[in-house]
Amino acid sequence: MDQLSRAQAELREMDALAAGTSVVHRLHPLCKLFVTVTYIFIVVSFHKYDLSGLIVMILYPVILFQLAGIPVHVCFYKLRVVLPLVCAVGLANPFFDHVPLAQIGNLVITGGVISMITLMLKGCLALMASFLLVATTPVDALCGALRRLHVPAVLTTLFLLIYRYIGVMMGEAAVMAQAYSLRAPGQKGIHISAWGSFLGQLLLRSMDRAQELYQSMVLRGFRGEFYYMDIPACGADSVLFMLISICLLLCARLVNIAQLIGNLFVR
Amino acid sequence: MHMADALLAPQVAATMYAASGVVVGISAKALRNDEKKEKLPVMAVTAALVFAGQMINYTIPGTGSSGHLCGGMLLSALLGPQAGFLSMVVILAIQCLFFADGGLLALGANCWNMAFYGCFIGYYLIWKPIMHSHLCAEKKNTDRIKIALASILGCVLTLQMGAFSVVLETSASGITELPFAAFVGIMLPIHLAIGLVEGLITAAVLLFVYEARPELLTGLSGGAEKTKSRCSLKTTIAILAAAVVIVGGGLSLFASGNPDGLEWSMFGNSEAGYRENMGLDEENYGVSSEAARVSGEIQEKTAFLPDYAFRGSDSTAGTSVSGLVGSAIVAGAAVLMCVAGGFFRKKRRSCKSTE
Amino acid sequence: MTRQLRCEVKKLIEFQNVSFSYDSKTPVLQKINLTIKKGETVGLIGANGAGKSTIMKLIPGLLHGEGTILVDGLPVARTNLPVIRQKTGYVLQDSDNQMFMPTVFEDLMFGLRNYGLSREAAEARVDEVLDQLGLQELKYRHNHKLSGGEKKMAAIATVLAMRPEVILMDEPSATLDPVNRRMVIRTIQALPQTKLIASHDLDMILETCDRVILLSHGKIAADGDCKTILSDGALLEQNRMELPLCMQTPGR
Repeated sequence: MDQLSRAQAELREMDALAAGTSVVHRLHPLCKLFVTVTYIFIVVSFHKYDLSGLIVMILYPVILFQLAGIPVHVCFYKLRVVLPLVCAVGLANPFFDHVPLAQIGNLVITGGVISMITLMLKGCLALMASFLLVATTPVDALCGALRRLHVPAVLTTLFLLIYRYIGVMMGEAAVMAQAYSLRAPGQKGIHISAWGSFLGQLLLRSMDRAQELYQSMVLRGFRGEFYYMDIPACGADSVLFMLISICLLLCARLVNIAQLIGNLFVR
Repeated sequence: MHMADALLAPQVAATMYAASGVVVGISAKALRNDEKKEKLPVMAVTAALVFAGQMINYTIPGTGSSGHLCGGMLLSALLGPQAGFLSMVVILAIQCLFFADGGLLALGANCWNMAFYGCFIGYYLIWKPIMHSHLCAEKKNTDRIKIALASILGCVLTLQMGAFSVVLETSASGITELPFAAFVGIMLPIHLAIGLVEGLITAAVLLFVYEARPELLTGLSGGAEKTKSRCSLKTTIAILAAAVVIVGGGLSLFASGNPDGLEWSMFGNSEAGYRENMGLDEENYGVSSEAARVSGEIQEKTAFLPDYAFRGSDSTAGTSVSGLVGSAIVAGAAVLMCVAGGFFRKKRRSCKSTE
Repeated sequence: MTRQLRCEVKKLIEFQNVSFSYDSKTPVLQKINLTIKKGETVGLIGANGAGKSTIMKLIPGLLHGEGTILVDGLPVARTNLPVIRQKTGYVLQDSDNQMFMPTVFEDLMFGLRNYGLSREAAEARVDEVLDQLGLQELKYRHNHKLSGGEKKMAAIATVLAMRPEVILMDEPSATLDPVNRRMVIRTIQALPQTKLIASHDLDMILETCDRVILLSHGKIAADGDCKTILSDGALLEQNRMELPLCMQTPGR
């Protein structure tokens, strides 16, 4: 039950963040999408022992978070969903992989430990990147960008419609869940006797809603085609941002920058 | 069940994206002929409802825990497989983008594991055959029993397939040291229990809909749509075949190219095997060996300090120490940036408020 | 005499022997005859299930019944639907169902672009309507973040943008707080178009309409001057309604 209101709050929060006006917000959605995908691809492509190479990738989200003026804790709160599975898989590594990779004094660091840390770091970085994309780009702009990439119109239209109605349906479900819990004190969830009717009722009502929605579309001349807000052409600054970021990311992938810096100090 | 980006190698992620992309394309095309115009609002509202419905806890009697709703089966029973699949894809995309459930890169894999099996396999191999079969002679309860059976069987089976795929994809990515068999042994039983509960919930919801408005369910035994269904069965077989080729081909190519991958997990991990392909020769693990060679050269040229050598250890350990120092410096810089950013923002805010 | 006078003003909507039923057993509407002239504001009242919504949905051809319905002289038939739907604007009771695009601006553009207006023309039209209703600040707001009153006003704007000749409104004042309700009433009063308003809010009907049609069990129980019908306590009570608050004598 609580999950519903929490999800609603999260959606509102993302909306509020995306409505910002920072330098990052003003970049073209398509460029941001490209850079984000490249970034995640590169992060994931690091070898499982290449922790020192991976660590440089932290700089990208850190810089963008600062430029966009988005509080980092919002993102870390979201990590709770993804990290369990990653941790579950990662935690097994130290038990199975005992190959010594490094030694500090008497402490031997095994490959398993390194690969576990690398895996968790990868999980965090990939999440931060996609969070940054969505937190700095409104949904409609994102869908416009996807449309430019020739993603089928059905899918982007559906995306916008579902996004529009998620709030409405969550509101209805939350009201019903509250009504249920008021008459069923002490119950954590829906009792088995109401499993079908609870969601079933909502489902029937939503079918009526869908019909009315269709009617209101048809009344305004809907013939199966949606007109999107045109996203403006790509500005020079956005292209520049894209090129520079992708170059830097590739450099970071090919050259172990952390090691280079380390070499400066360690003889 | 949602996979994270970190659990996938780029090659595997790309393969799964391609597979799911093909299914999206075919579904979108199939839907275009299928009065998409009328279906769009129904798809949107139903998917939004399923999204909300997945957040409701259903208490499992006798235990303290709670179950959730299985989206794929419910959507394909209500909307048909193609529309159900597309709706499910969007649900997964929204979950990944706005709720960090899954990941942008893993979206293709997640669509495959959860939407494809639930919608296409669940519909064409379970829901429809059961709905059209003559299971029991008694007319009165036939449909009800069929719906319950199909929902439970569908959820259990498609979830098993999904869980197995998660294991397959993770192993093929060479992410986990967990032996393949052990991983399967953990994932499948857990998802068997989850699938059973999800199936029961889905059955309950579908039975309610059947009582109230049976016309909302697709594929109920009726002769009217027979000609239509045969056509869509053909497209499904085509989808299946294409998908199997892409996924199978992609995974096997990758698995054979990377000793760390699938085969490796399958045949256990002996010490000897490890020595051969652990990170001792790091050059072999780049984007490509050519790039790695170039990077190695750059590294050599720019490193004006020679490799630090640990007494009594090999050079790998030495490089990792300078790596460690470098990493610490980078991390420090990141923290510094955060602090500075926070400081400037606070300053700006206080400036604004004084204005 | 009165009949002749009526003919001089243009008839905008005409129902001739219109019947409707969902399942052929229980008739929702039975042989309805009514005429709405250009410029009239007509209130449609009646108990739940009396057939108000059905009448509203028959006009733009969302439902099909027996008998003839003419909108601006055109019979409501498949071939005429695009023209008729442009002439009739329908404000749904639940604005959430009306506003399905991401932002108010795109929602206003939706219908205009579908009817083939160029981007520039459509944008100009959107601004014109938003100015008319004083909603410029809502232009780029997201639909799911609008308040109840804002949503209703924006929904009216989406309909007005189509420049309809008749505006159909289903419970425009429902679920609004007093201030928003007042705003919607003022908006309705200021609109020059022909309006058909279905509502249980008789006070609002009294303030906005000059004619009232009272429906009962699918038939027209009364049709006439707004004040006359709404002050007839016996007639209203007979049809499961009561006098508007402002007509009730205090202390009753």
